[in-house]
Amino acid sequence: MSTAVIHDPATLPSDDNVNAYTFCVELKGSQWFLQKGKMIAYYGRIDFNGIGHGRLDRLMRTSFHSPLHASDWVVAEGSGKMLLADRAFDVNSFDLDDGNLTIRSGNLLAYQPSLALKQSIVPGFLTLIGTGKFVAASNGPVVFMEPPIRVDPQALVGWADCPSPCHHYDHGYMTGVMGGVRALTGFGGASGEEHQFEFAGAGTVLLQSSEALMPEQPTGAVGAEPGVPGSHGSAVPAGGHGSAPRLPGQLGDLQRRFGL
Amino acid sequence: MATFRLQGSKVLAVDMTGDAVKAKNGSMVAYDGQMAFKKMTGGGEGIRGMVTRRLTGEQMTMMEVKGQGTCYFADRASEISLVQLHGDKLYVESSNLLCADGGLRTGTTFTGLRGGASGNGLFTTTVEGTGQAAIMSDGTAVVLRVTPQYPLSVDPGAYIAHQGNLRQDLQSGVTFRTFLGEGGGEAFQIRFEGDGVVYVQPSERNTVGGDV
Repeated sequence: MSTAVIHDPATLPSDDNVNAYTFCVELKGSQWFLQKGKMIAYYGRIDFNGIGHGRLDRLMRTSFHSPLHASDWVVAEGSGKMLLADRAFDVNSFDLDDGNLTIRSGNLLAYQPSLALKQSIVPGFLTLIGTGKFVAASNGPVVFMEPPIRVDPQALVGWADCPSPCHHYDHGYMTGVMGGVRALTGFGGASGEEHQFEFAGAGTVLLQSSEALMPEQPTGAVGAEPGVPGSHGSAVPAGGHGSAPRLPGQLGDLQRRFGL
Repeated sequence: MATFRLQGSKVLAVDMTGDAVKAKNGSMVAYDGQMAFKKMTGGGEGIRGMVTRRLTGEQMTMMEVKGQGTCYFADRASEISLVQLHGDKLYVESSNLLCADGGLRTGTTFTGLRGGASGNGLFTTTVEGTGQAAIMSDGTAVVLRVTPQYPLSVDPGAYIAHQGNLRQDLQSGVTFRTFLGEGGGEAFQIRFEGDGVVYVQPSERNTVGGDV
């Protein structure tokens, strides 16, 4: 019979996992950014301040460049140990050494201010640049993969260094009459795996071992500037609203639907 | 006395020799031997307990399991922690109590203001006596010791149980900024002081104060 280990401030790890689902951060007068509501308990004196607090202006200038997420993030400051967890998902910390990593916005729990948080060009993702530690949640343990690789959109947690993440659609599925019918209706054998994210070049891709998504953090709308993906302000040239890509030689949406 | 052991981390096995345990209604998954299951009206706390539970909203449907052999309990793949009681009192959210030795007394107690913010109600369940109890959590529970030098603050949504001589009060970080939409995200915490242990789960229930 096992009795659970009882932790106290001395036995809790410093900046490490307590168990697969809980991460302990030690603050010694330092600061950490964390997503709202991910703190489950703490020892010591720790203040939580919303971003936009006047005193934090300088920190914001160096480490937080995503105005759209400002309301979801807080700064923990003080000394003590704090436990982070997220809906009983696996949590893990990762170290970046003068590197970059892009992660789904809902999966990022916390990061050190020595990293700078920026919104990725890919909608719904955030990029961390610099040196430091961050904590991310995933459904099931994280698996690291080397490109070239195609991954299921739901299993993607993030990627580091890969220069050109892009969509990949199976060609046969998209063309011809049967392809059109299948794409639209799912009749005739849609495996649900006709669309992937493709990574090429040097880097690492992080996958979770499940296809359960973390609820998307609202990323808001990007400023309506021409040339900014995800901004719905400017008029997109013809055919921009279709969810499937246009193949060469295809005409308007109507033709595509009939597979012409 | 029934002996509790864990079969993996999500199934509780209780070996019984003619004695009884109280368990959450419907949480039996398997048994071997001879078992009798009886729903306990009002959690086996008598008319008074029944009325109290109805009034306080701290509802708990328990069954009495009695027999010889091994009975297995589980509930929605929750992680289970065992708690040994030596004449002391365990405070637990009624929804997190899976099973308790038949010799333990269960009851309801007023928890003070913190319940209002935690969405758990103003009352909580107590388990008292000598014997074992099993509590459930969403994800492996973390057990944290509280000493006079080291008070602990806990998010109300992650709190599941505590044991020992602890004083709890609600700590609020609500300032004018909260109303400007720039709150700290951790507007309410339960602060535990004294001597004892607190069980927290790595997941948060939805709480009234959760989004502030």
